[in-house]
Amino acid sequence: MLRKDLRLELRSGESTLALLALSMLVLVVLVFALDAGRVRSVDVAAGALWVAMVFAGMLGANRALLAERDNGAIRGLLLSPLDPGTLYAAKLAAALIFMAVAEVGAVILMVLFFNLEFDVSIARLAPILALGAIGFSALATLLSAITGRTRGGDMLLPILAVPIFVPALIAGVKASAAALAGVPLDSMGQWLKIMVAFDVLFVTAGYLLFEHVVGEN
Amino acid sequence: MSAPVVETHRLAKTYGLSPVLREVELRLMPGAGAYVIGGNGAGKSTLLRILAGLEAPSDGYALVFGQDTRKVAARYRRRIGVMAHQSFLYPNLTARENLEFYGELYSLPDPRASAELWLERVGLAEVADSRERTFSRGMEQRLSAARAMLPEPALLLLDEPFASLDHDGVEIIASLIRSAIERGAAVIATAHAIPEIEGVDFAAYEISHGRMQPHLHKEEVRRGGRIRSLLGR
Amino acid sequence: MNSAIRNGLGYVTLALMIVALFMVFDYVPPEAEQGIAQLIFYFHVPLAWVAFASFGIVAIAGIFYLWLGDKLWDDLGYAAAETGMVFCTLMIVAGSIWAKPIWGTWWTWDSRLTTTFILWLMYGGYLMLRASADDTPQVARFGAVIGVVAALDVPIVIASVRLWRTIHPAVLVTKQGGHGLEDPRMVATLLVCLAAFTVLWAWLLMLRFTQLRTRSRMSALAVRIAFADAALSDSK
Repeated sequence: MLRKDLRLELRSGESTLALLALSMLVLVVLVFALDAGRVRSVDVAAGALWVAMVFAGMLGANRALLAERDNGAIRGLLLSPLDPGTLYAAKLAAALIFMAVAEVGAVILMVLFFNLEFDVSIARLAPILALGAIGFSALATLLSAITGRTRGGDMLLPILAVPIFVPALIAGVKASAAALAGVPLDSMGQWLKIMVAFDVLFVTAGYLLFEHVVGEN
Repeated sequence: MSAPVVETHRLAKTYGLSPVLREVELRLMPGAGAYVIGGNGAGKSTLLRILAGLEAPSDGYALVFGQDTRKVAARYRRRIGVMAHQSFLYPNLTARENLEFYGELYSLPDPRASAELWLERVGLAEVADSRERTFSRGMEQRLSAARAMLPEPALLLLDEPFASLDHDGVEIIASLIRSAIERGAAVIATAHAIPEIEGVDFAAYEISHGRMQPHLHKEEVRRGGRIRSLLGR
Repeated sequence: MNSAIRNGLGYVTLALMIVALFMVFDYVPPEAEQGIAQLIFYFHVPLAWVAFASFGIVAIAGIFYLWLGDKLWDDLGYAAAETGMVFCTLMIVAGSIWAKPIWGTWWTWDSRLTTTFILWLMYGGYLMLRASADDTPQVARFGAVIGVVAALDVPIVIASVRLWRTIHPAVLVTKQGGHGLEDPRMVATLLVCLAAFTVLWAWLLMLRFTQLRTRSRMSALAVRIAFADAALSDSK
């Protein structure tokens, strides 16, 4: 399934690139909004990074499910022996990959725009961002199955996703800022624990609940 | 005496306040087929959707392979093939890729070979590596049929399978239905009027006002059928 | 739901609220540190308890709905969401009114206010979802899933926000309150207010639930009438 999704993704080439660019653009907006040139602050940089990430995450989750809307392909999947949990996992993986690519780009831009250094603190960001991406993709994949089918549609996704994501967001930004400031990962235990709890909770919940949101009757 | 593939009991469905299906009783044995005809919105598609498990009945129940359609286990879903108005195909994948994907989805032992075979059978071998997006409606319909029949299902639910097809297309689908019956599958096909397929002896039912009744003699229909559909009943 | 019980609840609410108001404004001594503004506490705590309880009901009703499929659970969840939203809004207003004299600003991102705000947003999301879609079993299931997911999130929200900020006065160590209250009259007042608001909440919840339940029953009835009607016209 994942292979098919990836192939589809690459085929529809242009729009994927456009969406990635959109996420990067958010960073640009923040540069000017926060006057990043003047201030060298890891807090601001971490915050901006996560804004871009969340943005990318919402786009990514939407797209993963969008692929099934043409020609009612989702019905084909529902009719097949495929179990909904597996379908969820595949969509989650697709959203995750999209978000991961966006994250890499965002990190690079962040270092450049916010006057930071490419050093070991960036490497420390990796697990934090990974945890964040997993959590958000898990949540957004589940929710976009809902919002894609209601009239409020795409606007509803952020309204639902953001409040629920808040704990991981707080933890992620704090941990990221700390990492950029040179703090080693073991001192961030509290924040990381929260993120792990969030991830475990929502991947499990998504896996179990997906069948209820994706069916038709 | 083998078990019926499809069985319904007082099947009913409402959308909001309109009863679309009422007390539908149906029984289909393996190797048998049924035409269900009716005008637009008569409820034929709804019936198929319920049988496929895509919708739940408002009253009564439907069984396929002895399983309640609301909760068909995965191993039985493998034996059901569905053709609907939507093709369930991915526009940006080639015909071959679409079929290979479905082959894997249905755990076929050799998806490549099966895809190849069915592309031949529906006459799409030449355009196998073109994206589905480029297909005409008739070609899409044929590919959809290939997709539905790829896993050689024991039950075929076909919603207006002959719509948008030219003469060759109709012949292809008809022969596919014939072979399916020959290997013991059960087939339900819907249409506006009784399709004229040789070598196929199906029971005929008509749905009107939500009720499904055995249809009049097919001859009568061919004469009177057109008038009926003009009246929209 | 027995209308006698409902009306009974209404009267009890009235009685308790009168007593509670009396106790807050006349009986209890003002706290040394915060003065008159501290009185809000007697409203804020019960409101918090009730808002969270409502949320819990949305989640539990959601689980039952997904499991049993009976519309009754969906009606309960929806009623709880609407009621909870009302109390949550009041809670934010109360919190804000408290904040102004104490911290000099109408809003502050302290742990309790922030958590309340997040809760409020979740309620809002649920209600927006239900409002923007028709009342089908599918949508009811969506609501149930959202309710469950949001409720699962609440403990994590509380933990993370608390970690993030801690400037809430030491009077309230837990939501139940009670610690740091010196005067037994304060404890009594708090308990009475808790009772009063809980009954008020239960009463409103029952009212709304009955409304939704009636509407669902009427819909189901209408469907059966449509069926029977069609059957009649058939045999003509």
